[in-house]
Amino acid sequence: MFLRSLPCQSCARTMAGLLSMVLLAGSAPAQNPPGTPHNEVLIKNALVMTATHGNIPNANVYVKDGKIAAVGKDVSAPASATVVDAEGKYLTPGIIDSHSHIALDNDVNEATSPVTPHMMMIDAFDYQDKAIYHGLAGGVTTSLLLHGSANMIGGQAVVIKHKYGANRDAMLFPGAPRSIKFASGENPKRVYGGRDQLPSTRMGNFAVQREALVQAQDYMREWDAYEAKVKDGDKDATPPKRDLKLEALADVLRGKLLVQIHCYRADEMLTEIAMAKEFGYKLRAFHHALEAYKVADQLADAGVGIATFSDWWGFKQEAWDAIPWNAVMAMRKGVRVAIKSDSEDFARRLNQEAGKTMRYGGATEEEALRMITLNAAWIIGVEDRVGSIDVGKDADLVIWDGYPLSSYGVPSKVFIDGDLYFDRSLPGFGMPHYKEGM
Amino acid sequence: MQTTRNFVRCRLAPRFLLAYLCLCTPVLAQQEQVALRGGKLLTVSHGTIDDGVVVMENGRITAVGSVNLVHVAKNARVIDVKGMTVYPGLIDSETALGLTEISAEPMTNDLIESSEEIMPHMHVYDAFHAESELIPVTRLNGITNAIVAPANRDTLPGQDSFVQLAGRSAEEMLLVRDVALPLNFSGEQRRDERGESRKFPSTRMGLAAQLRQTFLDAQDYAQRWTDYEKRKADYEKAKSEAPAKADDKNQGKDKKQPPSPPKHDLKLEALLPYLEGKKLVVLAAEEANDLETAVGLTREFNLKFVLNHISHAQSVLDYVASLKVPVIVGPIYEDPKPDERYDAVYSLPAQLNKRGVKIAFASYDAHNSRNLPYQAGFATAFGLPHEEALKAVTLNAAEIWGVADRLGSLDVGKTANIVVANGDPLDVKTDVKQVFIEGKEIPMTSRQTRLRDQYSEQ
Repeated sequence: MFLRSLPCQSCARTMAGLLSMVLLAGSAPAQNPPGTPHNEVLIKNALVMTATHGNIPNANVYVKDGKIAAVGKDVSAPASATVVDAEGKYLTPGIIDSHSHIALDNDVNEATSPVTPHMMMIDAFDYQDKAIYHGLAGGVTTSLLLHGSANMIGGQAVVIKHKYGANRDAMLFPGAPRSIKFASGENPKRVYGGRDQLPSTRMGNFAVQREALVQAQDYMREWDAYEAKVKDGDKDATPPKRDLKLEALADVLRGKLLVQIHCYRADEMLTEIAMAKEFGYKLRAFHHALEAYKVADQLADAGVGIATFSDWWGFKQEAWDAIPWNAVMAMRKGVRVAIKSDSEDFARRLNQEAGKTMRYGGATEEEALRMITLNAAWIIGVEDRVGSIDVGKDADLVIWDGYPLSSYGVPSKVFIDGDLYFDRSLPGFGMPHYKEGM
Repeated sequence: MQTTRNFVRCRLAPRFLLAYLCLCTPVLAQQEQVALRGGKLLTVSHGTIDDGVVVMENGRITAVGSVNLVHVAKNARVIDVKGMTVYPGLIDSETALGLTEISAEPMTNDLIESSEEIMPHMHVYDAFHAESELIPVTRLNGITNAIVAPANRDTLPGQDSFVQLAGRSAEEMLLVRDVALPLNFSGEQRRDERGESRKFPSTRMGLAAQLRQTFLDAQDYAQRWTDYEKRKADYEKAKSEAPAKADDKNQGKDKKQPPSPPKHDLKLEALLPYLEGKKLVVLAAEEANDLETAVGLTREFNLKFVLNHISHAQSVLDYVASLKVPVIVGPIYEDPKPDERYDAVYSLPAQLNKRGVKIAFASYDAHNSRNLPYQAGFATAFGLPHEEALKAVTLNAAEIWGVADRLGSLDVGKTANIVVANGDPLDVKTDVKQVFIEGKEIPMTSRQTRLRDQYSEQ
C-alpha cells in the first residue's frame, strides 16, 4: 500500500551532486531539494551490454531526467551534459537482486504463526544498513526484500533502489507492484514442528496453506456480497469486519499480489502449481527452485519463473539434488530464470554468479546477464522500468572495470536514476551521497 | 580433446634427453606414458609455456616443456589439448571435505567434537569419509588436494590432515595425517557468552589462560616422560652392571624395582610435536588485538606457526609482515566491518602480497570448495597479480603444508595432479575438461552430473 501511493522521489537527486562530488572528491554534497531536475549525463565509449539487443562496442548512453534517453554509437548530448568517459570499460544495466533479506535488522521472520500475510517488510526496512552499500558497490541497484521462509504464508515485500545515503522514502522503488512471500518444505515444518505445533510435515504445510486460502475465499465472498449490495443502492448494508490477514490473502486471490514461493523440491513446486490453479491465483516465481530442472516443462507451462542460486547446494536435505546446470536447463525449457543472492555476501558479486551459467550449461553472454537484470526485474514486476539498457528505462547503470560476467568484473561507477551513487575512484566509502553518521 | 596414439617429432636438445633418460627407469618405462600436447602450460614455478607438452608416467610428471623440445615416446598416449590451459591441481588450504555431507543434517556431520575447548587428540582422519559425494564435485573443478580441518568453534579442536581428492580408500587419500594443529583465537570460541551457565572460559582472558595452562601441562608431561626415560636408562644401566653381584643374597629388594612410567595422556601427548617445533600450528585470528595476543602465546611456547584468516587486521599488516610467516587469507568474502570500505577484505591478499607475505587461499567450506579459484581471481580485481593469485592456490599452499616436493607446480618429478581447462583457471567462465590425479584420468562425473544427464534425457 505504501508503495502504490508513493510519488516519484528520484528527483531528489541531481547531477549537480555528481559534479560537486567530482570536484570535492569525498566530501558529501548538500542534497538538492526535491523537484530539482536531474542533470544530463553522457557515458561515452563504453562496451554497452544492453541485455535486450546485444552488445554495442564504443557506444554512448545519454541520460536525461533520470531516464535512458539515447543509446548508440553516434549518440551525443548537449554541452550542458556531464561527460563520463568509459573507454575500455563495460556498461550494463544495474543488477537486480530478486531475493534479498538485507536492511531488515534481523526482522526477517514473524515466526509466531505460519500464516502472516499482513506483515509489511517496509515496516522493518532499515535504510541505513551498510548491506545496501555493499550491494551497491557490487553493482546492485534494485532489490526485492522478502519475508523469510519460516511461514507457509509470510509477509509482503518491499522493493528498494540502493540509493545509499538518501532518505528512506527516496530508496523505495516508486510504483513497484506488491509481492507476497509463500514458503514450503523444511523451514516451516522445522520451525513449528520444533515447537510441537502445526505444521510439522509437508502434509501439515499444505493443509495450513489451504485452510488459510479457504478462509480468504469466505472473506472475499462476504466483501463481494457487501460491495454488490452497495452497488445496488442498499444504504443499510453493513460492511463486514476488516481483517488485515484475510484482506491480504483475498488480494492474493484477486490477483493483486505477485506470489513468490520459497520452494526447493520438484514435487512441492507441482503441488503449489496445483493449489494456485485450485484457488485461481497466479504464481510469479519459485525461489531457490533447486530442482526446477526436474519439472522445467511444467514450470514453463504454468508461466512461473524461478529465482535460483548458481551453484549453492547440500546445505540441507532439500538442497541435496541441486545441480549447477539447473538455471540453464530450466531456461532452455522456456522458464524465465533469475540468479538471486538470498545473502548479503552473494549480493556483492551476483555478476560472477551469473557468469557461472555460461560455464554450467552454456548460457550465452546476454542470457547470463539477463538472469541478474531483466529476468530479475520481471520476477519483481518492474521489467518495463529497469533491467536493460533501452530508451525510456530508468538510468540504473553500472560501469565495470573488467568483464562483468567473470571473476574480474568490479563496478567502477554505479548510477541510479541517472545519479552517481558509487564511484570506486573516490576515497573513503566511494559514495558521493553518503556522509558517516548521517 | 582428442586422443591419438602418435608422438611428437623428436627435436630433443641433449640436456633434455639426458634429464628424461635419468628419470626413466626400466620399470617405469613399462608403464603407459601419457602426454598432454599443444596446450598453454601454466607451470607456476617457471612461467607459461605456450604450445607445450606435459608427460606423465607412473603417476609422476616426467617431462614439461615446449612441444618442439620435449621427447614423447612412440607408444605414448598423446592427448591433443590445443587451445586448452594446463595447470597443476589446485590446493584448498582449509576445508571440511569428508567431514560433512548435508550441513543441516547432524548425523552427516563430524565437524567438531564440541564437548571441550582443548581437543588436540581429535584427528580428522578418523572421521574422513572417502566416499563423500562432495569429493567428486570438488575435484571436477580442478581442486585435487585440500587441508581437512575441524570446525573452528574451539581453540584447539583437533589436528588437520592433508588429502588427495582421489583414491580407492581413505588410506590412500590421506597424504599427511596430523599435518598441523589449528589454534583458533577470535573470541568466537568463548563458552557461554551470555554468562548463563557460567561455564569457563567465557572471555578472551579465560581462553588465553586455558591455552597457556594446557601448553604448560604438556611441557610438564613431556618432562615427566623425559625424567622417566632417564630413570629407566639409569635402572637398565645399573642392572646391566649388576650381574657380577647377581648372587648377592642381600640384593636390595626395594631399591632395584624398575621405575614406573607416567600415565599416558593422549591430549597432552598430541601437543608434543608442536611444542618441539616439529609441526605447524595454524593460528587463526580476525582482529588485530586477537592476532597480537595469539602470536604472544605462540612465542611463549616457541610454536612454529602460520596465520589464518586475519580478515580484519588491516591496521597491523606491517606487523604481520614482520612475523615472516605465511598467511592463509580470507575468506575474502567476509563482510567488511561497518566502518570499513566495501573492499577492505577483498584487497587484503594484495596488501599482504605487496608486503612480501606468502599467502594461500582457502574456501573454509566443503560444498563450495569448488569455488576456490574464483576467490583467487576476485582478489586480482583488487590488486593481487594474477601469477601470485594462482600461486596462492598451488605452490604456496604446497610449500606451507610441506608437500612442495610432490605438488603445486608442473615440474618433473612431481605427482601428476594436472588440470586441463578451456581457459583461465581463476575465472568463473572457465570449464574444466579433464583432471588427472596421480596421472590417472579422473572420470568427469559426480552425483550432480548424473542428475543432470538423467533429467536431460527426458
